[in-house]
Amino acid sequence: MEYVLHLLILVLLYGMFALSMNVTSGFTLLISLAQAGFFGVGAYATAILATRYGWPLWVSMPLGMLLAGLVALPVAFVALRTVEDYFIICTMGMGVVLFSVMNNWIELTRGPLGIPGIPAVTFFGYPLTAKWEWAILAGAFYTMVFWVTRRLKQSALGRVLVALSEDEIFCQSLGKNVGLAKLQSFVLGAMLAAVPGALYAHYVSFIDPTSFTIHESIFILSIIIIGGMGNLWGSLAAAAFMILVPEALRFVGLPGGIAANVRQMLYGAILILVIWLQYAKPRRSSRVLRPQS
Amino acid sequence: MQVWANTLASAAIYSLVGLSFSLLYQTGRFFNFSQALVITIGAYAMFAVVSQWQAPIWFAVPVAVVVAGAFGAAFEIGLFRTLRRGNVGSWGLLLVSLGIYTVLQNGISLGFGDSTKSVRSGVVRVGHQVLGAFVTDIQIITLVVCVGIFALMIWLLSATPLGRAIRGIASNPDLCTVLGINSERTILWAVVIASGLGAMAGVLTALDTDMTPTMGFPLLMSGVIVMIVGGVGSYPALLGAALLLAMSQHLVAYYFDSKWMDAVAFLILIAFLIWKPLGFSGRRLKKVEV
Repeated sequence: MEYVLHLLILVLLYGMFALSMNVTSGFTLLISLAQAGFFGVGAYATAILATRYGWPLWVSMPLGMLLAGLVALPVAFVALRTVEDYFIICTMGMGVVLFSVMNNWIELTRGPLGIPGIPAVTFFGYPLTAKWEWAILAGAFYTMVFWVTRRLKQSALGRVLVALSEDEIFCQSLGKNVGLAKLQSFVLGAMLAAVPGALYAHYVSFIDPTSFTIHESIFILSIIIIGGMGNLWGSLAAAAFMILVPEALRFVGLPGGIAANVRQMLYGAILILVIWLQYAKPRRSSRVLRPQS
Repeated sequence: MQVWANTLASAAIYSLVGLSFSLLYQTGRFFNFSQALVITIGAYAMFAVVSQWQAPIWFAVPVAVVVAGAFGAAFEIGLFRTLRRGNVGSWGLLLVSLGIYTVLQNGISLGFGDSTKSVRSGVVRVGHQVLGAFVTDIQIITLVVCVGIFALMIWLLSATPLGRAIRGIASNPDLCTVLGINSERTILWAVVIASGLGAMAGVLTALDTDMTPTMGFPLLMSGVIVMIVGGVGSYPALLGAALLLAMSQHLVAYYFDSKWMDAVAFLILIAFLIWKPLGFSGRRLKKVEV
């Protein structure tokens, strides 16, 4: 039962992360690979405030969100000058820079050693330690993030974002401020990524920079691609799928050293397969004219 | 002086990767991350040949190049060609190539193990002393080989029918098709050549600093940065970009710490995207000027 609850919590955390990725990339189709970096900013802000100063989650999480937003703002200014694959490369660069800072700024983050012993979340002086309490907490935050994302999708901003993913110049010609909309979605997505980041830090109680690499961004990207870009329920289902399928490998009894590799291979294969199924077009014989339907 | 010697050796490798990536990007029109894997495959193919058959290195290197070329061609024929017809867009192809990289990089980890592999034999020698810097044999070989290959590629691209076809596809694929150039075949050739170049870069790096299953990715990122900083579509500018990148990385490693080398590489990329998004050569490119 504990194990099932643990998986549920993970699905909810990654579901939240995927929702934030949807805000950044799902509506606009501008794929950002810096998202794990912002997740990490949230996690580190919370972890450092909790271990050094004993601040509770309720204070450190908003501060972490603010910090992620502040970091995302200049990133967005630079990255949004480019489109398509240049945007991907540019945000990937930002992801690497963020990772380097977490890994190398030893005085602040303890570098590769990570930050151990992050205390449990207290709720009015009552520490939440049991798994079911955590499941409720994660569920509550998931609901909040889901609500925000859904409201955003239906709002004027959300409609502009979807419109500009289809035709940016046409959207601009209708008098929409395309640049501002993209900036808002990028920064908002980064701030939302800090929420699961903060929860993650408290839940696993130990963080190190390897949890916030480019590969993590690619993982979360595969989730929203499988779930469908901009599809909010889809990303929850996809998060569940991507976390539960590798867990099934555990029961096959692979040795620990191999399991990590096999899991990564599985993610890569799923990513290829999803895009292949959506887009692949076998060669059609050009000599045969097909009747127009 | 040591810094400059290392800079030259790194710049040679970077320009090689940059050139191979530039070929891939201009013909295939997407950031092909499976090239990172091809670089690694080159190094590991050499390792396999040397360790399994006790073959000499001069025999293993061509085998590695051929194996890498075969892998590159297989990805192109098996996946990218079909997907390109389906109009997936450059981001979809990029993600598929990332998927290929993830699957096969972990495959190499499973097959060969994560530990560092080396084909160097005998004792490590101090190297020659040239103008107050210590230079190893392999660094000299790297420099000579890279300059040779670069000159060869410039000749190939400017003087042979295949080179002209590749440059034609790079500048206007539709017009090339109208003029009877088989674009799919030309792209395939470009991929094979680029894979061979990537394998050479992987082999040279592995000879100098040994190999791990993830060695290709940082090399490829340098190649991407070199291509963007140099400007898409200009081959000589790649050399300048490779020198700039290698120089700044080694200076940072010398004055601060080698752990910031990755970050510096990307900061250069970002700086160029802000102030000079078209790179040195200044060819126009739609993607950076919306």
